[in-house]
Amino acid sequence: MSGAWQFYISTLLIYLGVDVMACWGLNLQFGYAGLVNFSFIIFQAAGAYTAAVLTLGRPTPADFQTYVGGAHWPFPLPFLAAAVAGALLAAGVGAIGLRRLRADYEAMVMLVVSLIATSVVTNATGLVNGANGLDLVPPPLLGVVHLGPLAYQWFYVGLTAALCLLVYLVVHRITGSPLGRSLRAMRENEPAAAALGRNVTQLRLAAFVVGGAIAGLSGAVLVQFLSAWSPGAWLYPETFVYFTAVIVGGSGNNLGAAVGALLVPVAFLEAVRFLPPFGPPGLIDAIQWIVIGLLAMVFLWFWPRGIVPERRRRFPRRIPSRSAADGPAR
Amino acid sequence: MTAEVAAAPCACAGAVLGIHGVARSFGGVEAVKGASFRVERGRITGLIGPNGAGKSTLLNLVAGALLPTRGTIHFEGRDITHLPDYRRARLGLIRTFQTSSEFGRLTVMENLLVAAPRLRGERLREALLGRGYWGGAEAQAVDRARNLLGEFDMAEKEDEYAGNLSGGQKRLLEIMRGLMAEPTVLLLDEPMAGVNPTLARRIEAYLLQLRDRGLTMLMVEHELGVVERICHPVVVMTLGRVLREGAMAEIRRDPEVLDAYLIG
Amino acid sequence: MGLILAAVGFGVITASILALAGVGFTLQFGVTNVLNLAFGSTMTAAAFVAYVVSQSAPLVVAVAAGGAFGAVFSVLVNRFVFMPFIHRGTRLFGMIIVTLSMGLVVQYSLQAIFGASFFSLPDIGGPTFHLGSFAITGPQVGILGLGLVAMACVHVLLRYTTLGKAMRATATNSDLARSCGIATDRVIDVAWAISGCLCGLAGVALALDVTAFTDTTGGDFLIPIIAVAVLGGVGQPYGAMLGALVVGVASEVAAAVISPDYKDAVAFVILILVLLVRPQGILAEVSGAKEVAS
Repeated sequence: MSGAWQFYISTLLIYLGVDVMACWGLNLQFGYAGLVNFSFIIFQAAGAYTAAVLTLGRPTPADFQTYVGGAHWPFPLPFLAAAVAGALLAAGVGAIGLRRLRADYEAMVMLVVSLIATSVVTNATGLVNGANGLDLVPPPLLGVVHLGPLAYQWFYVGLTAALCLLVYLVVHRITGSPLGRSLRAMRENEPAAAALGRNVTQLRLAAFVVGGAIAGLSGAVLVQFLSAWSPGAWLYPETFVYFTAVIVGGSGNNLGAAVGALLVPVAFLEAVRFLPPFGPPGLIDAIQWIVIGLLAMVFLWFWPRGIVPERRRRFPRRIPSRSAADGPAR
Repeated sequence: MTAEVAAAPCACAGAVLGIHGVARSFGGVEAVKGASFRVERGRITGLIGPNGAGKSTLLNLVAGALLPTRGTIHFEGRDITHLPDYRRARLGLIRTFQTSSEFGRLTVMENLLVAAPRLRGERLREALLGRGYWGGAEAQAVDRARNLLGEFDMAEKEDEYAGNLSGGQKRLLEIMRGLMAEPTVLLLDEPMAGVNPTLARRIEAYLLQLRDRGLTMLMVEHELGVVERICHPVVVMTLGRVLREGAMAEIRRDPEVLDAYLIG
Repeated sequence: MGLILAAVGFGVITASILALAGVGFTLQFGVTNVLNLAFGSTMTAAAFVAYVVSQSAPLVVAVAAGGAFGAVFSVLVNRFVFMPFIHRGTRLFGMIIVTLSMGLVVQYSLQAIFGASFFSLPDIGGPTFHLGSFAITGPQVGILGLGLVAMACVHVLLRYTTLGKAMRATATNSDLARSCGIATDRVIDVAWAISGCLCGLAGVALALDVTAFTDTTGGDFLIPIIAVAVLGGVGQPYGAMLGALVVGVASEVAAAVISPDYKDAVAFVILILVLLVRPQGILAEVSGAKEVAS
């Protein structure tokens, strides 16, 4: 495989890893807990900014960009901090936004939170350099691994894959547990879940915070690879891409969310960037968004459960009896 | 009403559930205007009254789905007036809903497991510890749920999605789910609404069985025949107040009750 | 002091646009229970229609065309997209995504057709009025007038016509309204036509006010619209009118006193406060009473 192809493939794989992680986070919130978090992308953004600022070092007066804080934390710490930042932001937003509102009010509030976050970060130029964003974020472990550009790409693919695995373990354990079942019960009928002793406020917050942490981590992986991050990268329609991915793949199913991440953001948005341009500038972009919007509607109409629908969970019988042929556990 | 409110705050001794002068208004309209009565242990207390008498609102107030504007509610001697619904449920005060409230895309078994109290793996930390930590407790809950399914003749529906059940089966699931939560008092909101007469008879028989095993119930019901057969005592509400309390046979002959039903 | 007075003046003009949009948004929700997140994009589309018409016709015609487009487009989208989804049993989460998808499709179709550049409606010029330190331009007078006339029409419609009563009945309880012999489908069509017309007019008014608009102008305006609707109690047209006045004046005063960058932040703060203090909105007593009836 030629170097250019390897760059192309490895880049796509890294994007895929980021999107799969994000879709798992969103699927936990939307597919399992039924939270319509239209501000999902701001948690990815929070993680990205955190990781960037914690690797850029302190800003100097001569610097072309201004930002608050700044440090040279060694490798795993910026990723960890990004997840914590996502979780903390989620806890804050969740405390205000998740007040047992009807799903559509909640979605509306979250959409507004996303718009406002963009507006604040863009206007408060001292915070993370406003509309221009942060640039020249150093890649992790570059000085330690001593690899050429191409080898480093593959190294980063491996790092992304490892983090994906970690996120999968967390998400899988939650969704397969009694907690995951309570989240789905809450999604189906919140008053009934509360009437059976489930603390729905706490359940919603748990899904929101874990999802926020995962989004934050995905943001860190993305910014450490892209080395730049600005408000243009996390406008509210980006959240919608993840929603479409989860719906297309199959909400309430982690495999489905991963399939959705492969089909929608990666195949649809990223791969097209390598196609030859046509029409006036912005046309391809616009058409992509139109197609994404139509895709969401078409799936909700024809296949509302997605390509890989939510699984039916069966329980094994401890003493095999007449229905010993029942499926495996989970 | 004044006499009722004047009752001592701990008139609940002996009673498992005490409701004292409870009122609730919605934007200036008082739906419940100071209702007081007690629910005795081991009985099915009937709550009847004409449409709009405030029965369902009162049940919601007892269950904690709504908070009262005034009055107090005691449960096993403890003031629960300000406890949120899920905390009351954890104490053993479990309600069912008038309209089916099944978790549609969960199986019947999962619906029952959601109700199992104090199950391991419900907390985030426990869930992250994995099946090894909570699997055993869940298997026990599964066994308990299977026993319940057997009692209600629903064993073959275990893996069916609750949303696919018939209306009558959903009513049974509603009751089973309540029982799975290990209630001290079960609040039933028209448990036989919309089911065919045969199933209604079956539900009636189940409720009597449960009572004989010592379960306390408070039941809102429209069908006075059912109330007469299984509820004792009966509380009659009208216009947001308690009008009468007593045996159904006496209440049937009460002219004021008749008036309330005719005017109501 | 003069600065604040001027800001209040501008606030009233912003409030006129917000009232048009907010009442439209809240009516759609009240009558059909659909929280239409495509509202902002429909406003933008109406502004573009007005722009195209204004190339060959007087501005008044262009404004009317924008309103008419909003009405027709909203009825069609509701009839052929939103309602079919609801009848198919799409749940609340799904409907939110459908309306947002629709908004994105409309917005990016506009971008694909017109390109991502700035557009202006022709300046009608006209006299500039001075009220002390406060100067108000011709288009601004027009916006103010448009807002006042439209609100008066909405008031007459809701209070004094059978149609308005039918709409209020449908908003309160559509099943009950249907059983009382109200043709709710027709009422819903009319409600979408009226709210769509308000949406279209709001889009044109916004385009006139900001002088240069793009395919994102309406979508960006969604925050204050939502703040207005939530403040007024979602589904409450009179609440939305009051909400528009509060949000409009407060954001312009904040822009004058603090910084223009934080105009939207005011809407946000109002939204957060309402959610913390009274999630039902300030005029929620009416909907509280509904709880009793049900």
